[in-house]
Amino acid sequence: MKSSVRMLRPAQLFKDKSICHSCRRELRRAASTQAAGVADDAPGDLESSSFNVPPPSQQEAKQFDPLKPSRQRKAPLPSSRYQYRSPRYDRGPLAPHRPPPPTDPASRQFVPGPFSQSRLESTYHNTIAPDFMTLTYQHRPPGFQAPEKGPRLRSWIGDNPYFANRQLRGPRGGDVLRLLRKPITFRNIPGVERVTVHSYCKDVIYQGSGVLHVAGMALQEITGARVQTHVSKHPESGWGLQRGKHIACTVDLKGEQMYHFLDKIINVVMPRIKDWRGIRATTGDNSGNITFGFEPDTVAIFPEVENNYDAYPPKLIPGLHITIHTTARADKDARLLLEAFGVPFYGKIVD
Amino acid sequence: MSRALQPVLRPATLSSLTSSQTSTTYVCQACRHARLLKRPKRPYTFTQLVTLSDGSAFTMRTTSPVPVYRSSRDTRNAPLWNPSSKELLNVEEDEAGRLAGFRARFGTSFDASKEVVAQTTQEPDKLASDKKADVKKVKQAKSDYDIQEEFGSEDDESLLQMISSFGKADKGSAAQIARKKI
Repeated sequence: MKSSVRMLRPAQLFKDKSICHSCRRELRRAASTQAAGVADDAPGDLESSSFNVPPPSQQEAKQFDPLKPSRQRKAPLPSSRYQYRSPRYDRGPLAPHRPPPPTDPASRQFVPGPFSQSRLESTYHNTIAPDFMTLTYQHRPPGFQAPEKGPRLRSWIGDNPYFANRQLRGPRGGDVLRLLRKPITFRNIPGVERVTVHSYCKDVIYQGSGVLHVAGMALQEITGARVQTHVSKHPESGWGLQRGKHIACTVDLKGEQMYHFLDKIINVVMPRIKDWRGIRATTGDNSGNITFGFEPDTVAIFPEVENNYDAYPPKLIPGLHITIHTTARADKDARLLLEAFGVPFYGKIVD
Repeated sequence: MSRALQPVLRPATLSSLTSSQTSTTYVCQACRHARLLKRPKRPYTFTQLVTLSDGSAFTMRTTSPVPVYRSSRDTRNAPLWNPSSKELLNVEEDEAGRLAGFRARFGTSFDASKEVVAQTTQEPDKLASDKKADVKKVKQAKSDYDIQEEFGSEDDESLLQMISSFGKADKGSAAQIARKKI
């Protein structure tokens, strides 16, 4: 049988599916020994061994130079990977060498992450969001049809010939067209979109830019993100404010950083504020964004600031305005969401 | 059709730029509108273990290099977050009965004597027993108070006497205090 197997080519032999596994392994071993050209009559085993080969002669060993091939090479070897470097400059959409998008790890603007999931974020996804949907559920019996509302923008009615094709009129009682609040389903459960931390340093006008530097450092330490400064657009003689002066700094937080910041604010900082009743319930911009402020004393009790309190010049620790942008369409929903996060509200509720 | 009515603001071909259009090979030249792609700057952040007052812990990304943050005051023991918890209520601590003793001895109408006034409307025998009990309570409190007072200084005593004698217009006590001071 062995001789008949030797006539077959190895590839052909392995393709044959009628042979069982162990038999095939044995056959493969036999084929490899045959290819190595070692005699089959080696005592006891079919494996080839380098001990069977005679060693090189003394002269051959002396002549062998291991570095010879690398010395002979004229050009360096290519690196082991294809290393792409993004261009430093974006030269416009028509340039032949376009930089990759910022989401590409090769891009210069790439920001890796997220590296952790905040406790607040997982609480939101696991508990708060389904609870919110249940809380705001409004049952409508089958066949129910909501009464039709009038158009949000009114048309111009009258004899005036200029009314024809005129742009529609705004709503009654003001020009503000409020956001539509749709019934909340699993698709549009409100969540926190981003958080803006803002500090307006009016002392810059009289004390110089040092105030802004301190405020920027405090903000960066608190939020863990880079600060952006803002220039005053208009002069305000009453405040002594000139045009084009760096007067404020903000941080925009999203995703992981945002949830960590909110978690820290709600669980560690807010309970430590003295004589604090919560956020005023009247806050909000009628479209689901809620703003509140922290005094300089409160900023000083942030764990990061407290940790190296001596690094800050006295009386220069800034106050903050924190805006929580939610995807809620009304302040009522945003307040409910933040209450679920653990933010206390006080005072009269205005919806 | 409508295009024909529009004025031509920009000619499709410029006679002065014919030379640049003829060459098809890419010339690597600096663009005036080249925008530097800055690498975003990110402050270094550490992972911090935050331990709340009830022992629960969670990790947080923060710029502070302190590995563990233990909070003494947080949502677990702040009264604003736990309105129904009795432990966090602002109850007067009076284990030694010192405050009660003071109230029994020097209490004004709004705390100590109030109960007695309220009880006068009840039947006499119960009133008497109540009074006895009250007196006993007061005595007990007094003795407690005295025991406590032994450790205090004499200045305190004279001060308390002054407080007690305030408004009574009792010359004797005033004389006593004067004598003591001398």
